[in-house]
Amino acid sequence: MDNRPSRHRLVRIRSSRCESPDQRRLPRREIGGAFVRIGLLTEGGYPYVSGDAGFWCDRLVRGLEQHEFDIYALSRSERQEDEGWIPLPPQVSRVRTAPLWMAEDDEVVYGRRARRRFAECYGELAAALCEGSAWEAPGESSATEADRFASALYGLAELARDEGGLVGALRSEAAVRALERACRAPGAPGTAREARVPELLAVAAQLERALRPLSLDWYEDDGLGSVDLCHAASGGPAALPGLLARHFTGVPLLVTEYGVRLRTHYLTATQAAPAVRALLTAFHGRLAAETYRRATLVTPGNAHARRWQERCGAQREKLRTVYPGMEAAPFAEVGESPECADHDTLVWVGRVEPAKDLVSLLHAFAEVRREEPKTRLRIVGVPSGPEGAAYLGHCRVLAAQLFPDEADGPHAVGDNPVSFEEIGGPELPSPADAYAAGAVTVLSSVVEGFPVGLVEAMFCGRATVSTDVGAVVEVIGGTGLVVPPRNPRALAEACVALLRDPERRARLGAAARARALELFTVEQNIAAFHGIYLEIVSRTPVRRVLLDDTGEPLPFAAPAESHVPGSWTERGAGLVARGGPGWAAGPPVRGTSAGTSSPGISPVGGSSVDASSVDASSVGTSSIGASSIGASSVRGVTPVSATEGA
Amino acid sequence: MSGRGEVGEVGAFGELDGLDGLGGLGGLDGVDGVEELGRSGDSSGAGAFVGVAETAEAAQAAEATAEAAETARAAGRRRPVTARRAGADPVKALMHRHRDLCERAVDPLEIAAGLEAHGVTDRTAARFRHRDVFSLAEEMYARVSRDGESPPRPTPQEVPRARADWILLSLLPGALCSATVVGLHLTRGRARLTVAALGVLVLALGMRAVLTRGPLGTRTRAHPNATSTWTYWLLACALLGDGLLGTALAGGPDGLPDGTGNAPWPLALAPLPALAWACAPAAWSAHLFAVRARRKLAASRGLEDFAASVRPLLLGTFALFLGALTALLAISGTALDEPSPYAQTITLGALLLLARLLTVHGFTHAPKVVLTATAASQAVALASVFAARLPGCDLLATPVHTLSDTWGPGGIQTLTCGLGALTLLLHATRTLTRASAHTRPGEPT
Repeated sequence: MDNRPSRHRLVRIRSSRCESPDQRRLPRREIGGAFVRIGLLTEGGYPYVSGDAGFWCDRLVRGLEQHEFDIYALSRSERQEDEGWIPLPPQVSRVRTAPLWMAEDDEVVYGRRARRRFAECYGELAAALCEGSAWEAPGESSATEADRFASALYGLAELARDEGGLVGALRSEAAVRALERACRAPGAPGTAREARVPELLAVAAQLERALRPLSLDWYEDDGLGSVDLCHAASGGPAALPGLLARHFTGVPLLVTEYGVRLRTHYLTATQAAPAVRALLTAFHGRLAAETYRRATLVTPGNAHARRWQERCGAQREKLRTVYPGMEAAPFAEVGESPECADHDTLVWVGRVEPAKDLVSLLHAFAEVRREEPKTRLRIVGVPSGPEGAAYLGHCRVLAAQLFPDEADGPHAVGDNPVSFEEIGGPELPSPADAYAAGAVTVLSSVVEGFPVGLVEAMFCGRATVSTDVGAVVEVIGGTGLVVPPRNPRALAEACVALLRDPERRARLGAAARARALELFTVEQNIAAFHGIYLEIVSRTPVRRVLLDDTGEPLPFAAPAESHVPGSWTERGAGLVARGGPGWAAGPPVRGTSAGTSSPGISPVGGSSVDASSVDASSVGTSSIGASSIGASSVRGVTPVSATEGA
Repeated sequence: MSGRGEVGEVGAFGELDGLDGLGGLGGLDGVDGVEELGRSGDSSGAGAFVGVAETAEAAQAAEATAEAAETARAAGRRRPVTARRAGADPVKALMHRHRDLCERAVDPLEIAAGLEAHGVTDRTAARFRHRDVFSLAEEMYARVSRDGESPPRPTPQEVPRARADWILLSLLPGALCSATVVGLHLTRGRARLTVAALGVLVLALGMRAVLTRGPLGTRTRAHPNATSTWTYWLLACALLGDGLLGTALAGGPDGLPDGTGNAPWPLALAPLPALAWACAPAAWSAHLFAVRARRKLAASRGLEDFAASVRPLLLGTFALFLGALTALLAISGTALDEPSPYAQTITLGALLLLARLLTVHGFTHAPKVVLTATAASQAVALASVFAARLPGCDLLATPVHTLSDTWGPGGIQTLTCGLGALTLLLHATRTLTRASAHTRPGEPT
């Protein structure tokens, strides 16, 4: 593994395995006759033990052993670095890390020319952030504005590459002055115009933090320049090195977002002053727009992320939904034997927190008990954090109030019909056992991202009743009942309907398992990325000289391909001259309406607004058909779908 | 739209819907009763008959509860939930519920993200006659009235408080120095040499402690000792240099200093205690400057305003320190019964204070250059006097001779330190009045 200390002091490399620096790094693996090396860009994630998206990156890297991976990781805290890495498979040939949480000023004092260059670029950046008083969706902002931001960003990156010392410059008075000038300029939005000195300083500090990847030395020919494809595991800071690698060396960029970073930013940054938030959200919005604009392909994890990406300016033809993959094997045994279920038991599985709305579930269960007095409810899950623990206590009290303990006979010891349990005990050793314990799995959340628990229930072949939140409708398709959130009565009616009809339960469970096996397995996830890699690489000619084992250049190693700069086969975008009319820059990107363009959403889900519950059994087959159509376009690996914009 | 929110809203209008009826009127009371009965059943434990009887009662109570719930439910059915919304402006109600979010939002997407976090989906948005959450959020963003009131000012940054530890610490060098001087006066011969060496060592440690924490401590650990060599050199010059220069010009020195003012190589002891005690006013003025500048930072509207308001503050603090140093010099001269070399010491103190202030605020380059230049010029002056004794090099000592003839032997030191201090003062009025000098790097703001 390459472990050379980097020239810039900003980059600190700690790694456990080394190879000598003068050893030549040859791509050892090939696909279809071409040598392929993938640069995986992560932020606070993969190789670290406490990473966010560690699981899927690990599965991806292990699943694609025919590819060679270079991992470029940005760490988020010192604690994360100290905790170390997870064991890496042999196809990972190099790991380079850099801390985002600290930056040392490398004491480079700019000369007059460099200072002027910095002031110009930073002034442009600040002006681009303050442009557009009624800040509409970034997708609708004009092409010149996006160009302005991009040229400023790349200008700063080039300055950092040529001169270094960007960290100090970003902290300097010149930066604050440029920000002040941009905020006071005519046309700046009102919130920005109100920025006072502390706010300007805060913005400058945050921008310095956000622009730290610009100072890395990853963009040399032996760094990201040597990979064939950059795969950013998330948007935002992780995609920034990919953008710069694309700018400096023309490496194509693939961005995968399971959660949209811009949205996360909106939800987390709520404490700062309005002026600070206005400028910073403008920065993150423009960065996201630029990422989507430059990326060759963008893969959202579900239709919700996809809508946000479209809203932030991603072109539809670049978007391929790749659902997260989950291990199906632990659930296979339960899924293949549906008859082991207890016929009168409802199961809820998940992490206990207020967003899961267990109170509503308990109220619904009270109604279920009125109709079906023998029903029991098992709530399986651990609380998340102190808030979750308090909520769990509240729910226990409520359950004790709503339902008295009951016993089989006068001499037996009673028990509450609602039981709170945890996975890992003797009764429920694994999640599969938890799902197996019930006839119907219930999901009562009011807020949900990608419902992992629901997918697990689908793997187990259980009929489900869930609330219409997040990506639930998209996941469940037509294979379960969906009710509006915060509607205990509708939830109860759906549960009763399923409890009384074992045949329908079995039918829905089988359909759910089939759908989950089709869409949400690890294999489909890996196959989809494999296809996407191939597709991108096939469209990107190799421009560097390939070397053989002895270090000599290999003639004719790369096929002679003509490379036309820009994507001239796609409609509009590449042909409009800079400064041309904004409407000619591309098709207007609006939020999609469910069912027409998002392959994952089945038409059944869309109509569940007014109906309190959706009975999918009658349309089960048709929706399964629809979902398989969705799957083929989801995978998106066929060259036909790749060139359909032509 | 969320059911729970609706309940609260309706309560405000003085209505009751089905859910409330179930929870408040029949449901909860009945349930409470049942629970009490159940508990007493538990406590009775083995008493089977009692248990049975109470179970029966509990069952009755449960039936009563169920009936109450039935009634409430029927009432709820009679009045459909959606009827409450008829006629009103639904988006307005939504905005009222999420008014914090709407007032806070800086763009429509923020409202969209917040709404989604509260469970609003595209299908909910359809109820407000919008295609998706984004267009609903856009309407809400457009309808929020933003005119008039300015947003509440954020709470001012916490300013560093004067703390007992660094106040005491800043008095330490002065105390140590005074003790050393007293020791020098009380001892003779070899013991005096030991006391002097020990005093220098202890004083160096004390200075080091002062310069690592408190208002004179640097925040970054980058270059803690970049300037300390030159600082000690300058202090040594203040102690020994004048005497050496004077004797060198007169043809000496004929022996090592013995720690008194009338030896062949006289020591100027008075400046040293004064400068050591001056650590305290220096720490205070640095603290005062930092705190006041922070306050002005929070209050000023533009960078120019800030610079204009900080410049007098800087000069005022500087003058305060010089006054304190003069007073200390006078006291020290009186106590030691020596003439105090005012001009040299004050310029040296000014130079050291400005260098420290600049270093503390992150400008390490200029102090390093100026201190090096000052120390080097003093060294060159001394060396030139000795070099002039070489045959044929008489001319080398001419500038030093001229200067000391004009201003006395302290003139060289006054001139070099004064020039250095002036340079740093000009530099400080430009750099320390920047806003970026008053933030802490690495501090998330």
